[in-house]
Amino acid sequence: MFLLRKEFRQIRRDKFMVRAIIGVPLLQMLILVPAVTFEMKHIDLAVTDYDRSPASRELVSRLTGSSFFRVCATPENYNQADDLLLAGDADMVLIIPDDCSKGLAGAVNPPRLQVMVDAVNATTAQLGWSYFASIVRDYNRDVIMSTGAAPSSIPGISVSPRFWYNPTLNYKYYMLPGILVILITAIGLMMCGLNLVREKEIGTSEQINVTPVKKWELITSKVIPFFIIGLLDLSLGLTIGWIVFNIPFEGSLLLFFACSAIFLVAVLGLALFLSTLASTMQQFLYVAFFFVMIFILMSGIFTPTESMPLWAQQFNWVNPVAYLMRINRMVMLKGSGFNDIARDMGMLAVLAFTFITIAIIAYRKRA
Amino acid sequence: MEREKVIEVKDLVKKFGSFVANDHLTFDVYKGEIFGFLGANGAGKTTAIRILCGLSRPTSGKVLVAGFDANHPEEIKKRIGYMSQRFSLYNDLTVKDNIELYGGIYGMTMKEIRPRTERLLAKLSFNQYGDTLIGSLPPGIKQKLAFAVAVFHDPEIVFLDEPTSGVDPITRRQFWEMIYETASRGITVFVTTHYMDEAEYCDRVTIMNEGMIVALDTPSALREKYNASSIEELFLKIARQKTETA
Repeated sequence: MFLLRKEFRQIRRDKFMVRAIIGVPLLQMLILVPAVTFEMKHIDLAVTDYDRSPASRELVSRLTGSSFFRVCATPENYNQADDLLLAGDADMVLIIPDDCSKGLAGAVNPPRLQVMVDAVNATTAQLGWSYFASIVRDYNRDVIMSTGAAPSSIPGISVSPRFWYNPTLNYKYYMLPGILVILITAIGLMMCGLNLVREKEIGTSEQINVTPVKKWELITSKVIPFFIIGLLDLSLGLTIGWIVFNIPFEGSLLLFFACSAIFLVAVLGLALFLSTLASTMQQFLYVAFFFVMIFILMSGIFTPTESMPLWAQQFNWVNPVAYLMRINRMVMLKGSGFNDIARDMGMLAVLAFTFITIAIIAYRKRA
Repeated sequence: MEREKVIEVKDLVKKFGSFVANDHLTFDVYKGEIFGFLGANGAGKTTAIRILCGLSRPTSGKVLVAGFDANHPEEIKKRIGYMSQRFSLYNDLTVKDNIELYGGIYGMTMKEIRPRTERLLAKLSFNQYGDTLIGSLPPGIKQKLAFAVAVFHDPEIVFLDEPTSGVDPITRRQFWEMIYETASRGITVFVTTHYMDEAEYCDRVTIMNEGMIVALDTPSALREKYNASSIEELFLKIARQKTETA
C-alpha cells in the first residue's frame, strides 16, 4: 500500500506534526482537567453586621469555617456593601440586621438575613447560594436545638447522601473522560480533513486523481494514519490521567478503546465528507470548527444533556460526541460493561457507518 | 499505410453553464507522435486535456483514449501519464519517495521500481538528489522530475499541460529533449503550450481559439498554408482574421 506509506512518511518528516501529536494531548490534559471545574472555593463574601452580637459572629465564622467562603470586606452599611458587589470585589453580600440576636432569642419576629448574589455568572451564583443556604440551615438547627426544643418536635426527613461512582465529588474525575473525547474529536475532524483539503489546495490531489488508484485505497490511506494517531493520543491522555490525576479506571480498557475506535471512524467519515465540500483550508476550518463546537457543547460535557431542551436532546441522536461522552464516563467511572452501553455503542456504530458511507459516495476522483 | 490512432475525438463539447469551453472539437492523435495544442490562455486547452485524462466528463461527443471512451475514465487512467501546469509532486517527500509512490500506484513492484529509479536518476545525472526533499530543489529540476515521474510507468500516452510555463530557456530546451526521447520510446506525447516557438517542435499542431479548433496540421504545412514564416506569425494572422470577422 504505497499511499499509506506515503502518508506515514509525510507525518514522520513533519517535525511540527510529530511534536503536536505528542504535545497537544499532554498540554490539553494537564491544563484542562484541573482548570475546568465547577467546584467553588473562596467565594468573596462582604459582611455588614449591624447586630455585632455573639450570635452574628458565630454565623459568620461558620461561613468562613467552610472552605467555600472568605470574608473579603466588612462594609459599614448597606450602600457600601452594594458598591462592593457592583465593583466586583465581592461575589456575595450578607447583611445581618441589628435585631438578629434578639430575634434568635425569640424576643421579636424571627430574624431576616439579607443576601445579595452577583449572578453575572449564573453557575457561581447558584452554587454560592446553595452553599450559603445549607450552612445557615445547619446553624438554624443548632440554634433551635440549643434553645432546648426537643429534636422530635421538629421532625424532618434527614437525608445523608452518598455520591456513588465519584464519592468525593471530584470534578477532575468527571471532566477527564470528557476531555479525552475532545482530544480525539479534534484529531479526527481537524487533522484528517485539513490534510485532504491541503492536497487539493497544492494540486497534488489532482495528480493522484489522474492515476488509476482506487477510491477505497485513497480513503483508507487518509483514514488509517489519523485513526492510529487518535488511538495513540487517547492512550497518552489516559496515561496522564492515571499518573498525574490518579483517575480510577473501573471498566474494561478493551471496551473503552473499542468504542473510541468506532467513534474515530465516525468523525473521520465526517471529516472526509466535509473535505469534499471545501476547496480551501480556510473554508474547511470554518465549517469543521462549527461542527466541533456544536458537537462538544451539546454533548453534555459541561451541562447534562437531560436538562437540555427536547430538540437539543434529539439533535444528540446524530452527535457522536454525545455517545462517547456518556460511554467514557460510564466505563471509566462506573465500570459499566458491554450490556450497559450496548445501545450507545450500537448507535455510534450506525453513525460511523453512515458518515463513512456518505463520505465514500461524496468523494469524487474528479476535480 | 494506416497509422494507429491512440486518441480519437469527435464533436467533443464541454459546457460550464452557458459557457462553451470546448466547441465541437474533432481530431485524432497517432501513436508515437508529439501532438501540440496551441492557444492563448482561456482557449480551452486545459479543459480538453482534463477530459482526455478522465478528470472531467464531456457534455457531448465521442472521446476514445487508448481504446477506451470517456465513460471508463479508470481504464484510461491506467494507460496514461499526466503532468499538470501546477507542480504536483510531494514537496515533503524525497525524490525517491515520490518515484516510489507513483510507480506503486501504477501497479509496479518495489523490485521493478528500485533499479529503474537508479537508472532514471543516473540518466538525468540527478544521483545526488535521490534522498533530497523535493521542496528544497530548484524549479527547473523539479519540473524535469515531474515529467520523469509522469512517464516512469511507461504509459501509452503522456499528457503535458503547459509543462514549461515559468521555466528558464535552458531548462525548456532540456525539457524538449526529454520529450523527444520519450516519443522515441513509442510513447505518444500530447502537449499544450502557449509558447509559439515550442509548436515548431511538435509533429502536428492544433491551434485553438475561443474553444474551437481553427487549424490542425504539421508546422511546415501550416506555415505554407497561411504563408507565414513562423508559427508565431501564423497565430497572429489567425487571431487577426478572427477579430475581423467578429
